[in-house]
Amino acid sequence: MRSIAKVFGRSPFVPLQMHMEKVAECVKQIPDVVAAYRREESETVEALRKKISRLEHEADALKHDIRNSLPRGLFLPVERVSLLQILSLQDSIANRAENIGVLLTMKQARSFPGFDDRFDDFLGKTIETFELARSVIDQLDELLETGFGGLEAQTVKELTDMVAYKEHEVDVIQGVLLRELLAHEDEVSYGDFFLWTRILRQVSSIADRSERLAITVRMTLETS
Amino acid sequence: MMESQFHIIITLAVIFGFYMAWGIGANDVANAMGTSVGSGALTLRRAVILAAILEFSGAFLVGSHVSETVRQGIVDPLIFTGDGMSFMLGMLAALLAAGVWLQWASWKGWPVSTTHSIVGAIVGFGVAYGGLSAIHWDKLGTIVASWVISPLLSGTISYFIFRFILRFVFYRERPLQSAKRLAPYLVFFVFSVLTLALVFKGLKNLNLDLGTPAAFAVASGVGLVASLVAVWIVSRMPEQERDRRPGGNQAITNPATVQALEKAVKHLEKVQSTAPEHMQSKISDALDNVKRLRFESQKSYEFHTNTAEYKSVEKLFVYLQILSASMVAFAHGANDVANAIGPMSAIISVAVAGGESIAAKTPVPLWVLALGGLGIAIGLATWGWRVIETVGRNITQLTPTRGFSAEIGAATTIVLASKLGLPISTTHTLVGAVLGVGLARGISAVNLITVRDVVVSWVVTIPAGASLAIIFFYGLKLVMW
Repeated sequence: MRSIAKVFGRSPFVPLQMHMEKVAECVKQIPDVVAAYRREESETVEALRKKISRLEHEADALKHDIRNSLPRGLFLPVERVSLLQILSLQDSIANRAENIGVLLTMKQARSFPGFDDRFDDFLGKTIETFELARSVIDQLDELLETGFGGLEAQTVKELTDMVAYKEHEVDVIQGVLLRELLAHEDEVSYGDFFLWTRILRQVSSIADRSERLAITVRMTLETS
Repeated sequence: MMESQFHIIITLAVIFGFYMAWGIGANDVANAMGTSVGSGALTLRRAVILAAILEFSGAFLVGSHVSETVRQGIVDPLIFTGDGMSFMLGMLAALLAAGVWLQWASWKGWPVSTTHSIVGAIVGFGVAYGGLSAIHWDKLGTIVASWVISPLLSGTISYFIFRFILRFVFYRERPLQSAKRLAPYLVFFVFSVLTLALVFKGLKNLNLDLGTPAAFAVASGVGLVASLVAVWIVSRMPEQERDRRPGGNQAITNPATVQALEKAVKHLEKVQSTAPEHMQSKISDALDNVKRLRFESQKSYEFHTNTAEYKSVEKLFVYLQILSASMVAFAHGANDVANAIGPMSAIISVAVAGGESIAAKTPVPLWVLALGGLGIAIGLATWGWRVIETVGRNITQLTPTRGFSAEIGAATTIVLASKLGLPISTTHTLVGAVLGVGLARGISAVNLITVRDVVVSWVVTIPAGASLAIIFFYGLKLVMW
């Protein structure tokens, strides 16, 4: 018992990455559920919605586990606030994925020519943004190894810039989609219009959260 | 009658002293070597063999300084003049008390130190026999102060060594190359400090007691030779895979370049879709070229971001950590052997002198030091390896660079304390060192609650050891007198 081993606490970084993996699984379901929605296979949509909810729930359990394993006496190389912020941002992304699934089970909304393709572009860019942010989280191991400085910090800075750029692209496409929706306001029912705008907001919010995630990690870097 | 009593007391002293040494080998060495086993720098087998050799050397060659303090620095032997028996019984009681207290504390799971127990016990019987004035309070004050200072010092050294490694290895463009360049200097440092500890006013027993200039000259000479060997070894280590590839020196692509190339591809695609017929073939050529460039840059970029290079740095530090672990084992032997053989040699020297001439300053006999070293080695071989394995399994967070930093900080502090004849807690010093590395952002999670445990152990152990020693002292007096 007079052992040096007691000095070492339980590292929250590996669980954090595991949590992000679960979130990624949620996000990966979105294109599938959108595709099923377009094919008007409401049963498949419902099944996928359930799957996303289950994954989100698993991520939630991990989140609570991480929060509980951060006692006061634990000293971390990253500020506790940043760590909890990263965790809650990751969590909010899983929530957005779940919301999209739920929204798609509400009603079979109609679209118009050209909308679907642009929406795919929009979704694709959003997922790219998320994947980049995820790669930032994956760099945490190396950041820890290099003491949050040096080349590894440089890599994370560059990645963060890329995330920000992608997020900007997503914003631009969202604007275009909204303009198109408004241009077709006579053909789109009030309910459909409402639903689409809600979906757009949820999707773009994933990109937005991803950017903030990358920026939060960036803030932990050594500034030398 | 006196003769046979002496024999009994000497026999008991040797048995208890040996038992204490065994306990140090069985439990405390784990803290010194566990860090290296945990980081993968040493296999369990090698760790045990290396520790046995170095613990013995430390105890045998440098162990006398601290033993002197334990033997006659805390309690004034002069007050026992004419009553050598009480002194012998007191030291025997101290050994017993420390042993019992340690057993009980480890059963309860308290993080107490062997060193603190024995010091507390000696204070106990001293006060019981001669009152408060029997204690060298100034010396005791120095010892207690050193318990507070030693973790702080080791933590500070480790902090700066790790920051140093970060700055000159991990923050560099080519970490592995920088590490290779740095390695000989670190080797020089380790060997110089160790040699200095040995030859500077040390090794009295072997008639190798050098003064300041000579000691520094010898130390830097040994350090230089060792670092030359390190240069040779490092030059034989395989280069990073990347460097052997053609065009390897430009392998690092700036991530911004990758990003810009991506944009270029997109813009060219836009150009292609809008350009008139006669430009098409040229544009598609350009597009192909840029796409190929992007592909190549992405590949090298990905290669760069993987952990291969950092892994190689850690591999290099595996060798350095073997050195730092050896230094810790040596320092540990030098400091902690006193806990076992300090009281034992006190008893023996009185007994040999016929129970009278306590004031006479005789050096600690060599065979006693050897016995202590042997006890530690046997404790290590019979039980200690198990504890090392357990400790090692629990501290895998400590990579070789971190382990090296912590061990150098701890070892330097312990060597210094040993030279000053101060009995300190090796475990607490190592805890301080690990905390230092943690504060330098080197460890993913450091448990600060251990600091509280350490402080509690300072406060609790002295009174506990002292009370037990008083009880045993009067008990033994009743039986033997």
